[in-house]
Amino acid sequence: MLNLEYMWELLPVLLRYLPLTIQMATIAMFFALILACLLAVVRVSQVPFLNGFALLFISFFRGTPLLVQLFLFYYGLPQLISALISMTGVTAAVLGLTLHFSAYMAESIRAAIVGIDRSQTEAALSIGMTQSQLMRRIILPQATRVATPTLMNYFIDMIKATSLAFTLGVTELMGATQKEAAGSFLYLEAFLLVALIYWVVVEVLSWGQRRLEIYLNRAYQR
Amino acid sequence: MLLTRKLNLTLAALSLSVASGLFAAAAQADTLRVGMSGGYFPFTFVERDELKGFEVDVLNAVGELSGDEIEFVTASFSGLAGMLESGRIDTIANQITITPEREAKYVFTAPYVYDGAQVVVRAGNDAIYGVEDLSGKSVAVNLGSNYEQLLREQPHADEIDIRTYESNIEQDVALGRVDAFVMDRVSATQVISERGLPLELAGQPFSTIENALPFRDDEAGREQRDRVDAALAELRENGTLREISEKWFNIDITQP
Repeated sequence: MLNLEYMWELLPVLLRYLPLTIQMATIAMFFALILACLLAVVRVSQVPFLNGFALLFISFFRGTPLLVQLFLFYYGLPQLISALISMTGVTAAVLGLTLHFSAYMAESIRAAIVGIDRSQTEAALSIGMTQSQLMRRIILPQATRVATPTLMNYFIDMIKATSLAFTLGVTELMGATQKEAAGSFLYLEAFLLVALIYWVVVEVLSWGQRRLEIYLNRAYQR
Repeated sequence: MLLTRKLNLTLAALSLSVASGLFAAAAQADTLRVGMSGGYFPFTFVERDELKGFEVDVLNAVGELSGDEIEFVTASFSGLAGMLESGRIDTIANQITITPEREAKYVFTAPYVYDGAQVVVRAGNDAIYGVEDLSGKSVAVNLGSNYEQLLREQPHADEIDIRTYESNIEQDVALGRVDAFVMDRVSATQVISERGLPLELAGQPFSTIENALPFRDDEAGREQRDRVDAALAELRENGTLREISEKWFNIDITQP
């Protein structure tokens, strides 16, 4: 049956790699949010030229697998641009996660923005707000509330997607597990343990999400 | 680039210990960066966070002789060729078999492991007794390994259902999900004797394979290759290779 003693001994070993996994996901999420907001605003406001670029960007990064993008950045591009060889696996992984997920998140932020009732825009313009004031003060705060659940979804997905970084030589949580399992041949124990670790992390996040949603909802409480 | 640098700094500050092993891209003249999967018992594997195995011992012995600082880099097997190609590692120590295709691209040291391709089945399988019995059967091989090609060279290759795996082929055969896997005879024997999975060798090895260390085919790569080759020759001479082999395999696999 399950070798619980092995799992118990493996736990502290695997937990050493958790910070790196969380760091990669958090940093990537931070930059992806900024990039996604910019893309979404460009798409919604139909900024000439930039809109075309945003469309192409979203099309490519949504249309190709993350693993392909990571391989392209890390192994492919340095053959064309030799300066990129100094890019570390962690940097490449964070870059890949950022670009990949920003494409998805841009669409979900765009959906949240266009979902805000037109009357809000008309009211803001009628009292003389500029386009940028309208965005910052009226539309984006409301869109944030709408977009939060789906953005948290992407964050959760991103945490798990960091496991691809092992293909770039970054030993994160999943890479460490694979190597340990190869040494012990206790696959079930090792993978069950790592599944539990991911699950707990995501549960903690979900708790944070519920708190955040209550906070964002406070104006709507009666 | 500033952004990347900042990112590196942040990461390094956040987790110095983890980071030190990762910002390995900067090569020094006397550092030999050796890529391996860390997931291939008993050649390269990890136990309680410690990298071990036959390849690890051999490369450390090479480093002691040549004066090179040996720096191990672990990555998924499928990522290793890209790392060598893009100059992030200098060689791969993962029981790499010499093939004509690889020789056209890389320069190899002299072989330091001699082995054969072996069919392995679940214990009690009475249908497969060798590679000729694989018609109509599903056979697992590791992605990027040359066993797929060895199978495709068989006269009945069209009838073999070859499945390519990223990892865990032993497990899937033990579970009965595929009929057999192909691996080198030496590590297959190890898997069976040491790890207690319900597996057995099916017949004799069907192809001889020679393993060596590949280097990039450029001036620096050839120079490294020559240094490592000289060290390997001396290790063979003074019996160290045999010692390391017997430590992990109980037999000498470093002789033809």
